[in-house]
Amino acid sequence: MAGGATTPAWLLESEAGAFPIGCSGRRRRGSALEKTLDGLAKVVRQAITSEETAARPGLLQSLDARAKLLSVVALLVAVGLVRHIPVLAGVYLLTLALAAASRIGLWGFVRRVWLFIPVFTGLIVAPAMFSFVTPGEVVLPLGHWFGHEVGLTRQGLTSAGLIVCRVATSISLVVLLTLTTSWPRLLSALRTLFVPRLLVLVLGMAYRYLFVLLDSISEMVIARRARTIAAGRNGRGARAAAGFSGGALFGKAHALSEEIHQAMLARGFRGEARTLERARLRALDGIWLLACLALAVLVVGGDRALGL
Amino acid sequence: MHIPDGYLSPATCAVTGAAMVPVIGTACARVKRVVKDRHAPLLALGAAYSFLVMMFNIPIPDGTTAHAVGAVLIAVLLGPWAAVVCVSVALVIQALFFGDGGVLALGANALNMAFVMPFVGYGVYRLAAGNTSLTSRRRALAAGIGGYVGLNAAALCAAIELGLQPTLFHSANGTPLYAPFHLAQTIPTMALAHLTIAGAAEFILTLGVVAYLQRANLPLLRINHPGVVDTDEELAPTRRLPALRWALIGIATMIILSPLGLLAPGGAYGEDAPIDLNPHSYGLSAIPGGLQHYNGFWKHTLLADYGFASGRHASLGYVLSAALGALAVGAAILLFVAVGRAVARRRPDVQTG
Amino acid sequence: MSTEPLLSAEGLCYSYLERFAALADVSLEVQRGERLALLGANGCGKSTLLKILAGLIFPDRGSYRAFGEEVSEPKIEDEQFSRGFRARVGFVFQNSDAQVFSPTVREEIAFGPLQLGLAPGEIEERMNDVVALLEIGELIERAPYQLSAGQKKRVAIASVLVMNPELLLLDEPTAGLDPRSRHWLLELMGELGAAGKTIVFATHELEQLEWVADRCLVLSEAHRLLAEGAPSEILSDRELLLRANLIHEHTHQRGALLHSHPHERGHHG
Repeated sequence: MAGGATTPAWLLESEAGAFPIGCSGRRRRGSALEKTLDGLAKVVRQAITSEETAARPGLLQSLDARAKLLSVVALLVAVGLVRHIPVLAGVYLLTLALAAASRIGLWGFVRRVWLFIPVFTGLIVAPAMFSFVTPGEVVLPLGHWFGHEVGLTRQGLTSAGLIVCRVATSISLVVLLTLTTSWPRLLSALRTLFVPRLLVLVLGMAYRYLFVLLDSISEMVIARRARTIAAGRNGRGARAAAGFSGGALFGKAHALSEEIHQAMLARGFRGEARTLERARLRALDGIWLLACLALAVLVVGGDRALGL
Repeated sequence: MHIPDGYLSPATCAVTGAAMVPVIGTACARVKRVVKDRHAPLLALGAAYSFLVMMFNIPIPDGTTAHAVGAVLIAVLLGPWAAVVCVSVALVIQALFFGDGGVLALGANALNMAFVMPFVGYGVYRLAAGNTSLTSRRRALAAGIGGYVGLNAAALCAAIELGLQPTLFHSANGTPLYAPFHLAQTIPTMALAHLTIAGAAEFILTLGVVAYLQRANLPLLRINHPGVVDTDEELAPTRRLPALRWALIGIATMIILSPLGLLAPGGAYGEDAPIDLNPHSYGLSAIPGGLQHYNGFWKHTLLADYGFASGRHASLGYVLSAALGALAVGAAILLFVAVGRAVARRRPDVQTG
Repeated sequence: MSTEPLLSAEGLCYSYLERFAALADVSLEVQRGERLALLGANGCGKSTLLKILAGLIFPDRGSYRAFGEEVSEPKIEDEQFSRGFRARVGFVFQNSDAQVFSPTVREEIAFGPLQLGLAPGEIEERMNDVVALLEIGELIERAPYQLSAGQKKRVAIASVLVMNPELLLLDEPTAGLDPRSRHWLLELMGELGAAGKTIVFATHELEQLEWVADRCLVLSEAHRLLAEGAPSEILSDRELLLRANLIHEHTHQRGALLHSHPHERGHHG
């Protein structure tokens, strides 16, 4: 390097004249792809970091992850079986109470749950309120068509209400679990329950390397943006680049996986990872689990008592 | 395509979950046996990759987004069983942290995206790639087509699972208890979104990555393609694919597509009524105003066609067609598993290089 | 028996994908308690050599003996041998991201001892000691992605030291670290050496070499062994360092401390 090649003359000259730096008024809007990539890292980081809330002293935080996981599944099944909106509303209020007892900000909790899926669900099922999707007793007639009364039906309205409430309550339960349980605890809970060990090992590592890959993506986007000058053909160019970036990313991921494998081997890994033993279940965890199971039975029983 | 909790009845979740248990078990066992102990990091990176691909939203005209899955790409690079593990893991992370796809619905989502998609896509890829060299254009194109077909097969399964809900689960007065749209509405809507935008995204992703690796990182492609020569020049005198294979792919395609023809006799997607455009999941967030406006004109024919007004008749028809659709999909899955098994028996999923 | 070196390798050759040579006929011996530096420019085969010494990859040709036993691929498949070998050899990777793969720092440090089958009580004890030694007590429940490069390196080293290996292999240990972390790491390597650990490390940084190494091997860019000797000998051989691409012609040398100034145009033709 030193002394061998001489620097080409053009590299030593300024090209100030060729590319004026003032604004021309023509703005290149970053392609949708780039914007998506850009926001991605932030969103993922926010969504999957629960350390802060999981470390707060609260009701759910004090419980064992296994007990929490099983109780959430039991309640999810109960919520799935419920057929009356008031019962669902009751369970939803209970999730709010649990959030408050676990020192989770209620406004943030409600926002996180309702945006985006239940609201989206509401939009999606809106057409189902009309008689032409869900036939039945028309409660809000909108007119007649060839002898049939059309409009909003009781069945349609109930159905739409049911699904929105059920979706929101289900998501609330899952969010309660993830907000109050750190990821490593959740992983070891899965390990001690019914999930294959390989799957849990992969799950833990996938989560870990998500961040490494995200950093790689951000770097690639920044590098690409730094070299992109031409305006106009952003869409196609970006999409073509997606294939290449995707390929390069997979190459990086693969090379990294080889190194990780060697790092594991070097520390005695022989195909079956042994892990730290976790804390034993305490009486409180057992009581909690039993209470949740009883609640689930109660909810379904009460719902059936209201009629089918 | 992620189905949240609440859209499917617990019974549906239980059935699909039960179906996935042996699949996951087999996948773990096969991946373990074939790749010795280096599987974990490789699969973890595959899962992280699939997760990112699914986050990779591509805007569709109406302002919402559709996404690719990457399952077929992983199947092409690491084998279909590895894809089962990778996509399942990505789905678990999404279900827990994004509410994107439910926890109870994990079985259904995994069945669609982590099982049907990689196997259908990989089968199509193997058949379309045939006896070509590793760097041939046809192989890259085959991967793209595999991605496209795989994604649409997954979308079809999701549409069937959703479309069965109002028929199978409703209260005494006819109130749908879960997802309220019927097969005749869910299938065209899912098809519309996935045959176009999401399918194209999956096609571009799978083809683009394979084409890139053909030029830049051939060793990565060799992992799952032992014995495939690098360039066309090295190719031995061509051994044509047995006609039987082509017949099988034809039949499989017809089986996959038949519910569409069976259940949407009115015409092309969304032509009948705006409600046919169930803007579900990654479809459209609102029904285009024009369609809504002109809806009335078609309603009479629609009612006549389907007999919506007389609940019993319609319900009977739907049960029948739903059963047929389920049977067809079951047959297709069996077929592709058989093809996949035959393929996997000859070529290990992921080879220690 | 007592005269046999801890490690001895004879005529090692290795190439990636049967095409790209990484090592060509390299032989070396490492004595017990020795601190050996592998010097060479980027891509000269230092990492490959370390990985062969760690039993992670195996040479195409040549033989390698460690702890009085032949190390080969079939042998490492043997459960007892593999356990004994992995317990004796610690490897600190250049890329801490590859090495720190567990969900939390605690699990990361416990990983090695758990694979070796140590008792939980002993693991706990060792973990506490190593955490105190490396001053990472406040990181113990954190996830790796929340750590800085220097913290990740400490965790990586802790996860290796907790296994109490006889032989420590470090690949570019100070690369990418800030000056304070660098200094800390070099001191730690000095302490470990004084405690009787055998240390083999790869580097292309010549500062403080005399302090951390007893002996140096220089690898050429042709992946061959170029020279061997005490740090002072190697560092005073300017011609050799130039040939190995460890310094450039504008590097000035004052005693053992090297420093350089930027290449100014005009001084040379």
